[in-house]
Amino acid sequence: MTLLEVTDLTVEYSSGGYKVRPLNDFTLHVDKRELTVLLGASGCGKSTLLSAIAGLLRPLSGSIRVGGAEVVGLGNRALTRYRQTSVGIVFQAFNLIPSLNARENIELICRTAGQSRARGRERAEHLLEMMDLGDRMNHRPGSMSGGQQQRIAIARALALDPPVILADEPTAHLDYIQVEGVLRTLRDLADADRTVIIATHDERLLPLADRIVELSPRVARVATAEEHRNLQDGDVLFQQGDPGALVYTVESGLIQLVRVRDDGAEEVINEVAAGAYFGELAPMFGLPRSAMARAAGPTVVTGFPVSEFRAHMRSAPRTK
Amino acid sequence: MNDSEFLGRRSHGYPSTRAMGPVWLASIRDLQWRSRRFLLAVFATGLVFGLALMISGVANSFNVEVRNTVGAISARFWFVPTGSLGPFTVAAPFPASEAAAIQRIPGVTAANPILVSRALTDGAITTSDSTSASVSSEQAVNLIGVVPGGVGSPRVAEGKPLRQRDTAVVDESLGVKVGQEIGLNGVRFKVNGLVRGVTYFAGQPVVFVTLRAADALTADGKALATAVLARGMPLRSTSGFTALTDAQVRADLARPTAQAAETIKLIEYLLWLVAAGIIGAIVYLSALERRGDFAVLKAVGTPSSHLFFGLVIQAVLIALGAAIVGILVEIPMSGTSQMAVRLAQSNYLAVPVVAVIVGVVASVPPARRAARVDPALAFGGGK
Repeated sequence: MTLLEVTDLTVEYSSGGYKVRPLNDFTLHVDKRELTVLLGASGCGKSTLLSAIAGLLRPLSGSIRVGGAEVVGLGNRALTRYRQTSVGIVFQAFNLIPSLNARENIELICRTAGQSRARGRERAEHLLEMMDLGDRMNHRPGSMSGGQQQRIAIARALALDPPVILADEPTAHLDYIQVEGVLRTLRDLADADRTVIIATHDERLLPLADRIVELSPRVARVATAEEHRNLQDGDVLFQQGDPGALVYTVESGLIQLVRVRDDGAEEVINEVAAGAYFGELAPMFGLPRSAMARAAGPTVVTGFPVSEFRAHMRSAPRTK
Repeated sequence: MNDSEFLGRRSHGYPSTRAMGPVWLASIRDLQWRSRRFLLAVFATGLVFGLALMISGVANSFNVEVRNTVGAISARFWFVPTGSLGPFTVAAPFPASEAAAIQRIPGVTAANPILVSRALTDGAITTSDSTSASVSSEQAVNLIGVVPGGVGSPRVAEGKPLRQRDTAVVDESLGVKVGQEIGLNGVRFKVNGLVRGVTYFAGQPVVFVTLRAADALTADGKALATAVLARGMPLRSTSGFTALTDAQVRADLARPTAQAAETIKLIEYLLWLVAAGIIGAIVYLSALERRGDFAVLKAVGTPSSHLFFGLVIQAVLIALGAAIVGILVEIPMSGTSQMAVRLAQSNYLAVPVVAVIVGVVASVPPARRAARVDPALAFGGGK
């Protein structure tokens, strides 16, 4: 049974004055009892996807459905309730409240959702016992190891028994001994009628996964055929945020590399004249295009797959 | 599982009584966590509260002493020369015999002259057996000459009323006891009795002597007066005189200190503002440091209103703590004041109320900041 459906999700936000679109028409369907690993380099959109599923980011378009219920477009109050009951989040840096002890960190979540003090305490103690932290209930996070803190964070994510658990780099701050306990716990969670989604670049987690989703657009790096393009003044070769497959050389004319600011204004960051090349980083490193390429007057360009470009560049001067 | 099971049915806006539980928990624990800083804030704000309370007492004392002094003289009407603003501020001496004309006005049951002036104690205060000297520094006093037993003769709180020419009734704030002697402009007077709270011009004590003694001290022995005090209900005035009521006389007496009282009141308000500033700064700093915590709490479903009220609670608790410190430190602080500090019970009771208002006002900017934290900050590996 599909528990989480992410369909055609596009997320865009401002960063340093520029629009960034880490997710573009992204689709993912995850079943109950499935542990999904989102794999990819930093900045590829893993945390963004988790934030969107958690209802912390409003996507530009697309749909997120949990248990058949649409999340995108919910009002603030409904979103708050959704975060309480439908998703549990395990953060990279544990993010426990330092002034509260282990039990109170969990109890706070229960009581915020309207549970009584006694019930919240009982739930917190039960979860901490489950995490083998029964003897550390009254300790503050600062006096515990990273592994213990991460297990408290997992217990906190389970406080209101949500069907979806989101974990952002759960092993990032742990040594290999601590990792083992956390991995086992996350696997157990998925087996207990939940969906667990882990964003990571730690490949040690891959054997745990029922499904691996690679967010870096490696497909785009696969060589395609060389292509020649005749552009007229104002024609756009590629947009900012598009996946990149080719490295271009300018045969004649002029290409402007334009970055679109978040207020809609355009900023020309470079001009590439005949004989020079541009756009090599996106296909080489699997990144989205960081700027738009637009012809300034009649222009002819040739696009090379990365492997062919390396051979070709011996005879081409590099542009700035 | 249907939609409502996932998205929940209950709405969460302002915290309900039960929902205030976690707000309290997080707020109190954070206060404990940063206890040194908050205690420092409580102490610093408490000093400001104490100072504000003391200043308030000084401002109060201006009104109280005017009321007490005019009340102690207990006349129904004050006859002053026409054109004079009052008996205390613009004194226009006239022959004391004018009192006889006022006594004859129909409706007047009694009338006696009074002389309001200033004198200087010589600093030496001796006991009646002249053995030891309890010395106070040379001090300016308000001198009022009255007819012993007549209208204006003060009712004493301790000792005996004014009798002979060489006796005086003094306000207890002068620091002398019944039976001791004081020097006024170089002349010795035996203290017959004491009055309480009879001061004016910012706490300067009143010394009552006989009219004849006052004339001798300030008018070269001429029988002069600055007002005639009357009882009864005069049906008319007399030529050259205007009858003032107690309220008019109080206004006259308050005139010289009115600007000072207003300035002191302004300082009091500024001190409340400073207190709000201290609390606001501390809570704001805390809100900045807890930005990551707030993002996490929002991310896991804590409504913004809980974060808002959490900081309001912290600010109010600091303010209430400061109010207690303020009340405690006001007493020793006021003891060092050269000016009279008059505070009623209601002034002390008002401090926690004002403190709560100050706390709430101070907490609004940091609380708004906390409520606006983007929960997405919780992701990304850092706080």
